[in-house]
Amino acid sequence: MKGEKKFLAGLAAVAEAAKLADVDVISSFPIRPYTGLMVDLSLKVANGELDAEFVHAEGEHGQLAIVHGASASGARTMTGSSGVGVTYAFETYSPISGGRCPVQMVIADRTLDPPGDFGSEHSDVLCARDQGWIMGWAETPQEALDNTLIYYRLGEDKRVALPQFNCQDGYFVSHIPGDVVVPEQSQVNEFLPPYKLDKPLDPLRPYGHGPQIYSDQGPVLELQRAIVMDKAKEIIPGIMDDFKRIFGRKYDPFIEDYNPNNAEVCLFINGAHAHTARYAIANLKSQGVNLALCKLRFVRPWATDEIAEALSRYKVVGVIETNNSFGVAREAGVFTPEVAATLYDLPENKRPMLISFMAGLGGEAIRLKDFYFMAKKLINTAQRKKLEKPVYWIGFEEDEEDLTF
Amino acid sequence: MSDNTVILEEPIASVLKAPLEEQYVPGHRTCGGCGPALAYRLIAKAAGPNTIFLGPTGCMYVANTSYVCVPFAVPWMHTQITDGGGVASGVEAAYQAMIRKGKYKGDFPNIIVMGGDGGTSDIGLQAVSGAMYRNHDLLVISYDNESYANTGIQVSPMTPYGAATSFTPPGITIPEAKKFWPKDLTALIYYGHPMVKYVANATIGYPVDLMNKVRKALNKKGASFIHVHSACPKGWRFDASRTIEMAKLAIQTGMWINYEIDEGKKKLDHVPTKMKPVEEYLKTQGRFNHLRAEDVQKIQRFVDSKVAEARPVAARAV
Repeated sequence: MKGEKKFLAGLAAVAEAAKLADVDVISSFPIRPYTGLMVDLSLKVANGELDAEFVHAEGEHGQLAIVHGASASGARTMTGSSGVGVTYAFETYSPISGGRCPVQMVIADRTLDPPGDFGSEHSDVLCARDQGWIMGWAETPQEALDNTLIYYRLGEDKRVALPQFNCQDGYFVSHIPGDVVVPEQSQVNEFLPPYKLDKPLDPLRPYGHGPQIYSDQGPVLELQRAIVMDKAKEIIPGIMDDFKRIFGRKYDPFIEDYNPNNAEVCLFINGAHAHTARYAIANLKSQGVNLALCKLRFVRPWATDEIAEALSRYKVVGVIETNNSFGVAREAGVFTPEVAATLYDLPENKRPMLISFMAGLGGEAIRLKDFYFMAKKLINTAQRKKLEKPVYWIGFEEDEEDLTF
Repeated sequence: MSDNTVILEEPIASVLKAPLEEQYVPGHRTCGGCGPALAYRLIAKAAGPNTIFLGPTGCMYVANTSYVCVPFAVPWMHTQITDGGGVASGVEAAYQAMIRKGKYKGDFPNIIVMGGDGGTSDIGLQAVSGAMYRNHDLLVISYDNESYANTGIQVSPMTPYGAATSFTPPGITIPEAKKFWPKDLTALIYYGHPMVKYVANATIGYPVDLMNKVRKALNKKGASFIHVHSACPKGWRFDASRTIEMAKLAIQTGMWINYEIDEGKKKLDHVPTKMKPVEEYLKTQGRFNHLRAEDVQKIQRFVDSKVAEARPVAARAV
């Protein structure tokens, strides 16, 4: 495999990718834990490794405004944030996707306030899942680097033209180093064409952007955003094929169906904790317990058909909710209603039962024994063919110490 | 800074010597007698074709670009009312990077934010301050019609003391209507941002002065700011035929003071040696109809102190 092997944490890996992508404009504002990205990028700009404008914004809202203007002018951009920084910028998300500006925002997740918890929880950026941005998580620093390039390629594709949330768990991915192959510039040049905007803010080609409209002119624009989000689903598999051909690393386009032991029950998971889950699956196998894993690659666009097909192979699916959605349907997080809606059209004999696990909240690690507990609940439900309890809060259940199957 | 800078010719000697070419063109639905629309036309004329306008939400967004009409011969983009300064900073950063890296072959553009008083002095102040502090090569204009006008004339920090708006109605408990003195936005920008080389107060009452201030500001490398007093018939409640009269009366009574600070040198413009009483200005506008004699005296004292503060010229070293 071409490239240089390094030992990098997730944010440092993204900074390497930004350099390889020849980013033009970067906007920063400090908030933990994503700050590490900007520490690395500012150093690359200061020492001449990366020729970019590094703009110190006056807040996250300003960060997004800056990359909005820069992207609309034809520059490739990168910004980022965590936790309440992500929600502070919220106003700007729809104008950026509505303006079809493919800015990239790197997220290292952090729990929302109160009370000032630094730990990773996906509730921050998941708030913005309906704003017309591409969104997905990396499990490892390598995947974080690769996603950075994949997202630019996807978001800047003229058939899509959408901004991207390039997400990774705070600390678990952002700050824990792993083996990373940093590709060669020639590989990146082959994979990622230069950013070319059809109608930039350019006096040589004057256009008006974002005028007021009649009410009946609005739905057309909304429909366009819906269509291109759908279009992204058609394009993603080809991008993954190209990625495999050029870089030699293979990614499943939408969902990684990891079922080494022919299990009947499966965990549905997003982000860093998939890493621990793989160890749990291996350990359970030695006890004769079979558990599978379906890891989401993209939250937006949500690949309804592919996810339905993957999950239809199982009798019970446990949705791990590393986020909160207070008062939501089935009273868990945001993924449970999406998964339920995804499965709704399956015939009854193919439709798995659903259990939600509230886990990894506030930056808590999901431990091996937590996965064993989840496996027990899934397998018991499969055996009894009856859903006893739809939601478990890991760390708050009375029978968590009893791991006999 | 980029080398692809174009210097605009200055000064424009008279209205007749101004460019015939319009960059702000017909096709909008601003009110009859609209001060901000006139300001826009003059500013765009002075800036010329190598210009990008950023339009934070406000009258000059809503009334100009209604129903997909875009009355500009140059590129224009809407921004949120909060972030004109931020988006413009990004446009500027993009052109700096793209020209330096050979990704753009044209000239460095004039980048102008056309923000209302709310979009520059209130909800958008943070973004404007960021752009000024970082000294991006751009111009922020505050077209000041002294209210949030397009939403139906609500009070802003620039609304004069004693003015009635739809959020400051006069009543038995609050007879004077608006109770706070307006912000001094130009001073806030200049004295708060040490890298800013050029700021000015201007008015549509003196169009040649306004156009020349725009050119002077654009010819500076770095951030500049112009506060343009822009009379509003609808919001201030005077007849649409009297817009320019109101603009001049504001200068004659001291309700508006024209000046510039150019690289540390302050110069007063059009300030009469003897001021007319403010009452002459106040009585012409419906928004001040409710004022009592004591309120008028209070405004007179405030204006007197502002005029005294403006002269003699107080300069700061660059």
